[in-house]
Amino acid sequence: MASRAITSDTHSVTQQSQATPLDDMASIVATYEQRIFRFHLISIRDRDVAQSLTQDTFVRAWAARDSFRGDCSVLTWLMRIALNLIRDHTRTDRFRFWKRVSETAVDVSDIASHVPHRDSSLESRLIASEQMTLVWESVAQLSDRQRSVFLLRFLEELELSEIASVTGLPISTVKTHLYRALASIRARHNTTHKDEL
Amino acid sequence: MTLHLSHEQLCDLILADVSLHPESEPWNDSRADSDVVHEHLQACLICSAELRSLRDSLSHFREASVSFARQEFAQSYARRSSIAPPHSYLSQPLYWTAAALVFVAALFPLSMHRQRPAPPVTRTAASSASLQTPESDEALLADIDQKLSADVPAPMTPLADPTAGATSTTSNSDQRTN
Repeated sequence: MASRAITSDTHSVTQQSQATPLDDMASIVATYEQRIFRFHLISIRDRDVAQSLTQDTFVRAWAARDSFRGDCSVLTWLMRIALNLIRDHTRTDRFRFWKRVSETAVDVSDIASHVPHRDSSLESRLIASEQMTLVWESVAQLSDRQRSVFLLRFLEELELSEIASVTGLPISTVKTHLYRALASIRARHNTTHKDEL
Repeated sequence: MTLHLSHEQLCDLILADVSLHPESEPWNDSRADSDVVHEHLQACLICSAELRSLRDSLSHFREASVSFARQEFAQSYARRSSIAPPHSYLSQPLYWTAAALVFVAALFPLSMHRQRPAPPVTRTAASSASLQTPESDEALLADIDQKLSADVPAPMTPLADPTAGATSTTSNSDQRTN
């Protein structure tokens, strides 16, 4: 009788020690779903695919919750899963990526109406819309790796160390990808401004 | 000495934006370089204008993306939360017409099935078959029992022992001998 009590106590202690923050998946989903969806949507630029990949992200997180050791934040861990899913998706659908025309694909015109207008003048609105379009189109021309790193930095505002953790790259490589991505945007930026002049 | 900021210096300034937590950035260690860059920016209108323009572009991209994604998420969440069609559909006569057609199409085969009387002959045959079935079963079982209990057929009957008479004779002779 006493041994059984000790065994059950040991079992409960073991269960408590194995508990992870991901056990409460409902609160994890409530906290991070919108952010994960955003990353998928802007990366893939397709509403349906983004929704599907968001669900897959949390399904995979739940299935692999035991492997979460807590050496990074939950968001970083989820972003890592999300990035892997995006890679899988682009690998299977490689040649049509970014160029696919579907009803659920996101066009630049969809997003142009969301450019903030702090100034009410028409000229400032047009300039802001042009600037956003320039970056949107430049991001489409980046390589998969550069695009992911760029979005993790300038959309999700992750630290370089977090991006390195998500992508599995050294920080110096992350910086190099960011330099190249910004070089592409800067070149397009300068070309546009020269054309305007 | 370069006239303008290098690409890396410009990128470092963009990456070390205030909104992006500059304290933790590893390339902000060299304070002297940072001072030189800031002094240059104050003096060079071209570099400062380009930096401002790039920052604005990235800021607009982020804010528009965040706003758009928020709206799309809200719409997808609403779609998932409700199985009812959206209000915009409910207000359309075409939607109601289509719904009515589907309803009528679903009821049509059912009404046809109820209106059509079943052929009486078939019913009679079915009822007689249902009545006759136990009787025929009993007859069949009785026939099987009869066959099983019948005598063994002639070809299967055991043959008569041809030595039966001889044995009795021998025993008789033995008795006589003894």
